[in-house]
Parts: sequence; C-alpha cells; structure tokens
Amino acid sequence: MSVEIKSPTFPESVADGTIANWLKKEGDAVAQDEVIAEIETDKVVLEVLAQSDGIISKIIKSEGETVISSEVIGEFEEGSLDTSKKEDSTQEVELTKEIEPTKDTNTKNKKNGPAVKKILSEKNIDPAPIKPTGKDNRITKADVINHISQKDTSEESSTIVSESGSDRPEKRVPMSRLRSTIAKRLVSVKQETAMLTTFNEVDMQPIKELRSKYGAEFEKEHDVKLGFMGFFVIAAVQALKKFPLVNASIDGTDIVYHGFQDIGVAVSTERGLVVPVIKDADTKSLPEIEKSILEYSDKARNGKLSIDEMQGGTFTISNGGVFGSLLSTPILNAPQTAILGMHSIQDRPVAINSEVHIRPMMYLAMSYDHRLLDGKEAVTFLVSIKEQLESPERLLLNL
Amino acid sequence: MYDVVVIGSGPAGYVAAIRASQLGLKTLCIEELIDDSGKPSLGGTCLNVGCIPSKALLDSSHRYYEANKKLSEHGINISSLKLDVAAMMKRKDDIVEKLTGGISGLFSANKVESMMGRGSVISQNIVKVTKSDGSSEEVEAKNIVIATGSSPIEIPAAKFGKKIVDSTGALSFDEVPKSLGIVGAGIIGLELGSVWSRLGSKVTVIEALDTFLPMTDPDISKETFKEFKNQGLDIKLNSTLTSSKELKNSVKVTYEQGENEVEDEFDKLIVAVGRKPNSSEILSKELNIKIENGFIEVNQYCQTSLKNIWAIGDVVRGPMLAHKGSEEGIMVAERIAEKHAEVNYDLVPSVIYSHPEIAWVGKNENELKDESVQYKTGKFPFAASGRALAVDQSTGFVKVLSDVKTDTILGVHVFGPAAAEIVQQALISMEFGASSEDIALTMFSHPTVSEAFHEAALASNNQAIHIGNKPR
Repeated sequence: MSVEIKSPTFPESVADGTIANWLKKEGDAVAQDEVIAEIETDKVVLEVLAQSDGIISKIIKSEGETVISSEVIGEFEEGSLDTSKKEDSTQEVELTKEIEPTKDTNTKNKKNGPAVKKILSEKNIDPAPIKPTGKDNRITKADVINHISQKDTSEESSTIVSESGSDRPEKRVPMSRLRSTIAKRLVSVKQETAMLTTFNEVDMQPIKELRSKYGAEFEKEHDVKLGFMGFFVIAAVQALKKFPLVNASIDGTDIVYHGFQDIGVAVSTERGLVVPVIKDADTKSLPEIEKSILEYSDKARNGKLSIDEMQGGTFTISNGGVFGSLLSTPILNAPQTAILGMHSIQDRPVAINSEVHIRPMMYLAMSYDHRLLDGKEAVTFLVSIKEQLESPERLLLNL
Repeated sequence: MYDVVVIGSGPAGYVAAIRASQLGLKTLCIEELIDDSGKPSLGGTCLNVGCIPSKALLDSSHRYYEANKKLSEHGINISSLKLDVAAMMKRKDDIVEKLTGGISGLFSANKVESMMGRGSVISQNIVKVTKSDGSSEEVEAKNIVIATGSSPIEIPAAKFGKKIVDSTGALSFDEVPKSLGIVGAGIIGLELGSVWSRLGSKVTVIEALDTFLPMTDPDISKETFKEFKNQGLDIKLNSTLTSSKELKNSVKVTYEQGENEVEDEFDKLIVAVGRKPNSSEILSKELNIKIENGFIEVNQYCQTSLKNIWAIGDVVRGPMLAHKGSEEGIMVAERIAEKHAEVNYDLVPSVIYSHPEIAWVGKNENELKDESVQYKTGKFPFAASGRALAVDQSTGFVKVLSDVKTDTILGVHVFGPAAAEIVQQALISMEFGASSEDIALTMFSHPTVSEAFHEAALASNNQAIHIGNKPR
C-alpha cells in the first residue's frame, strides 16, 4: 500500500525548513521508526521516521528544497521486508544474470571494526548516513573516509554559488538557515527595542573559594562539576524575583509578567549560537541546574536539541568569558527584556578598605530594553546579582 | 533421478556433493580413481597425490634435516642418524588412506551416494558412467556438476618414463636420488625439490622464465630466491629443457641457458611445468558447451551455458587450488538449492610449503603499480620477532600493502614461520574490508610469530613499536 511521507508538524514558531539530507534512496527498504530524512529548520534538525516497514517508492522533495509543516516529501510502499525479493527463481536465470542477494539493510546493530570505531568517535561522525561496503553491510574505514571526503566536496560544490571574476580569491556561499535566522533576529532586536547596556564588576573570590572548598565533594555527591554558571543562574533567579519587570516582556502595548523564571543559557556550537532554556529554574537546586546545563551543551554540540528545549525563556545569560572576552554588550534575546553577559575572570588590583588587593574580577554587562526598564531598576538588578555572587550566603538567606 | 550428480570427488567435487546433500538434494558422486586394493579412492589429486602426501613428506624431510643439521645447535647430538625411506613413504601412505577413507565416511554420514567409474555428460540430464571392466551405466540428473580436476602436463622434451616422472611419481621414490633434476620452479617443483634436497639429493631446478616466482611480490621473489639457493637448490633461470634421455642408471638432459647449451645428468628428473584441466571426453559435443584452452567456460557462478550444468575446480578458470575448488563447490550446491552464494575471487590465498613458508593474498607491489594504485607499505622482519628468534625461524618478513587514502589492506605477503596461518588472519580481516589500522588496533598474543603481522600493520602508518619507522 502506498503512503505519503510527510514532514513533521513544525512548532508555531517555525515557518519552514530545508531537506538537509535523505538517508534512504528510492527503492531502499526501511524498518519502522528508522530515520529516512532530516529536515533542518532555523532552530533544530528534525528527523523524519518511517511509520512502518516498507520501501521508499518516491522522493518528491529533494535535498536543499524548502518544505513547510506536514508537507508531502515522498512516497512509501508499506510491506514486510523479507518477502520483497522471493519471487526470483534460480532455475530460471540466464547465464549472465546476477541473482541479487537479499540484502540486510540494517547496519545499526553491526559491530564496527576498531579503526571505524576510532575514526567515528574522533571525528564525531554519525554512522547512519555512511554507505557500507563491508561484508553483511558493515561499515569499513574506507567507507568512513570516502564519506568524509564526499561530504567535503559536496559541501563545497553545493555551496559555492559564484567565484569572483578577478584574480583576488573570493568565495560566495549562501548562509545556513540558522545563521540567516540569527542575523534577521539580531537586526530586528536592534531596530525594534531601545537597547542599552549597564556594567558592573564582581569579585569572584568567594565563589572561587566555595568551589575549591566544596568542588570535589559536590562532584562526588551530584556527579556533575560545580561550575560558575550555576551560581549565576541562581543569582539571576533571585534577582528576577525581586525585580519582576526584568522577567517580563512586551507584547504589543501590553506588559506580560511571567510567573516563572525560565533561564536561557547561550551555547556556542559549530552551526551557530543556540540558547537552550532551563525551565522553572526557580524550582531547581544548584546541582539540578548544573546537570541541565551539561546535558544541554552536550545535546547542542551534537545537534540533538529539540525545539521544545529552546523555546520560551524569560531571561538569558551569555558567557563570552569562555572565549576570553573582557567586556561586551550582549544583544537581547527577543521578546525578553534583559540579558546578562558574563566575561572572563581576571586578577586585577582593587581597593578594599583603602588597601590594594589582587582579586579575581569579572565584568558584568546587562543589556536591557529601556522601553520597559528604567536605569534605576536595571542598575539595581545588576547590583543585586553582584552582591549575591560576592556574598553567596545571601543566596541561602534569600537576600 | 538424482537432483545432483557430481563428476569427480576431489576437494571441489566432494565438498559440492556433501553440501548439496546437506541442502536436501539427492546427490551422487562419481569417481574413477581406484586404489591398489581395488576400492574407490576418493579425494582427488589433493588427497591422493597432491597437497596431503606432499605435506607429509615435507614434514618428514624437514624433521630429518633438523636432526641432521640443526639439532646440534640446540645441544642435541644424535650419533647414528639413519634414514628409512620406506617407513617415511608408509607414513605418508597411511595418512592418505586415512583421509580418503574419511571422505567415504563423510559421504555416508551426509547420505551422498558414490559410484565407481568414469563419468561423462551425454545429454543435458544424463551422465554415462563407464566402469573399469568396460561396462557402463546411465544416470539421470536434474543438475550436473563437473569437477574432474587436472593432471600434470607432459612436455615433448621429457616424456614420462621410469626415471622421468611427474609430481605423482616424485612422491613415491623408494630411495633418495643422489642427483635430482626438476623442470619448473613453480610451487610444485620447489616443494618437491625441498623434500629431496633435505633428504640428501643434489637438486637442480631448470626454469624457463627469467624471474623467480613471478606471481609473488617482488620482495618475496628476491628473498626466497636467496633462501632456496642457501638451502642448496641450484635454480637455473632462463633455462629451457630441449631434450632428455633415460639411460640405465640416470637421465641425460640438455637445456638452453640463455645462449648456451648445457648438458647434465641426474638420477631422476621431475617434470613440474604445470597442470592441464581434465576436460576432454567429459562433455558431449551436442551440448555445445564451450571449452577454451582446455577450461570449461562458466560464468562467475560456475554455471555453463546450460543452466543445469556446472563446472568447478581445476577444470575451470582461476588458480588450480584445492580451497578455490571447494568454495566453488559450496557456491554451486547452494545455487542449485536456490540460495545466494558467491566466491570472492579477489581473496584467494596462495601458499608455498617450503621452509620457511611463503604465502600471500591480495595484490602485490607489481600489480598495484600496474594498476596505478597509490599504496603504502608496512614491513616487519622476523629477525625482530622474539618468538621467531626463540624457535630459530627468523628468516623472512611480513609485508602489508594498503591504500594510501582509505588505509584498506590490499595485499599481505609473508615469507617466514607459519606464513600460511598469518596470511589467513589477514584474509579474514580483508574479507571484512579491514584497514591496516584495524589490525594495528587489535591485540595479538605475545610471544607469537603473528605479532609480525601486527607490527607490519603498525609500520604501515609509521607506528611500529619493535622496529624503526621510515623517516617521514
């Protein structure tokens, strides 16, 4: 029975997507729930799964074409896998005719050789799209190497739209969907908000001491490292509770106050910056927050974040410090009202009680939408975060 | 009416018959060879006059050689060493009898029927069996498998006689010839030369080609030529036998070595210039099955132009090797039973059972150069292998050739201890598309001679541990 293969139902915020690749060709047999195609949207890569066992009979939307939610992208012939080739009879064959082996298409459960395992994990390659040539459809090292070089050449050839005519080298490539979405959003935020940044600095000594004192014990107890980010999330949540307007957003001419604190944490990946959201951060403990940060960054790096995990968010924290940034002005993540920028920690001389001390200092920057927040609120919000970080006991006392 | 009638019970035929029967097909195997006692002698050339008896004599002669020349190095001295050729031959004959008898046992266990006589295909479904007494019988078959093998080639310059013998005769001399001439420095000639040289013969090998073992890798060819000379084999390349004559106590030969005509005299002369397929008078002309240079024409699945007539082993294209014939036998039986089967002709291993052994699989350097394949080489000498030194077998090397880009192993060439077994390890990995790195990342027991294969694989990527790597 012929069935339509449809793209998944996209969330409301996703207008359309692009067929990133077909993992199966026309005529390929697939098992139920096997991934047959991948669709790249501006937020995530969505997988198209086979609804039952059968054979891909037609591909309608080829790689690179734009598709909308629930659009027909191909056709599929339902049927059991093993009965498909039974009709050929050996007795009838001509001298030259080859008898096709009943191919076992399942490469997933095959044990890979040691060199294949090594190269897959070293280069972080998903083995699913690799065409196997080994015995019983196993992937060989040669298959992986050919896959990599094919990918390289196909990426180059499909993306180079034009080369400049002059002899000075220049290459023109279209932006990926993620990149063009980021670009559009950033420009619209700059144009549609009254963005302003306030700065402060925080003495990280107390947090550092806390980490060196309890870090090992914390990791042993909770199976996750005690990082800096967790403290910032908790401090932000406390401050947001005190300043509900910072946690609010503008919708037309209304102000929407959110009764929860969903904190977005910006993660840099190869495809671009993504912002997974720690939902209900106000109800989470520090170890829980550290665990979700770790889980999200792993998922983000492997392109496995779901749209759901990136939606919403009432406040965002961005850490430019991991790349060494000393000071920057982060751009709002619309429709949020404020974003906190963390930076690198630097030993600097500071005056404490009229004496010069060397302290591990971090500049904090908070960009905010001046339409909603006045300077006084924004600055005191940031001071509140600073105070909590400099005296972590305040976190305990809800001060 | 049989489902399958197999003509010939050599390693191709008996394997095909057993597998066919296992697959539920009513199977008959026809064999014409009769042993001295009048019983059918199953197993073909391999068991009766080929692989097995030659390996028995290679082992016996090697033991004698060790006792005679090598044991004193180990502090073992034998004062009165004596060679009993008759006992040696009896041991060999006993092994042959045991194995040929073993095949009868396998036939009855697998319900394969056998019939004595010479089989020939007279129509698409009828095989005529001519008995030794001249009577004949016709059997009906849905499928016919021809596995009639090959025989030694006789050349006009050396007609077989009492002192001029083929490989079969060379396996049953009743005494050690003082001097022995061998025509042909191929696998058979070198193995037989080794046997009699170790037992005391002065061996001269006359080879027409000017390259030694031209089918082997150039490194193997070079190193083994040296080693055979060391062992006392006088190998005369570029030499063509022009005439020979049996005298009362010797054979007088004339051969042309390049421009020069050389005369020589040997106690015995073995002619081992190759083998020819046994294809004459097997197929009726009316069947219209093509025979090219003696080989029955078949497709890649060993099927002739008639879909129910198949041919396997030495009587069809490809190397004349027992294991190649056996695999074809399996394939044909499976295909008759409508199953999928194929033979990977790219991975047929070759072995020369000299001492040290020579074995290889896949492509050699000459072939890769001819095909303009970009390859890399990893080599490890047994002289650097602890185990090889300990067992006094440190001659030779393992050489791994792999693709520069994909690292896929393309060929493995071994000269040294247990070469055939090492090549088999390589072959299994190659069957799964292994790269040299796959072997490098695999654990090998220590100390073994197989470690040389590991090191050669490591050396392919300049990662050898127990030998210096090529400067990059």
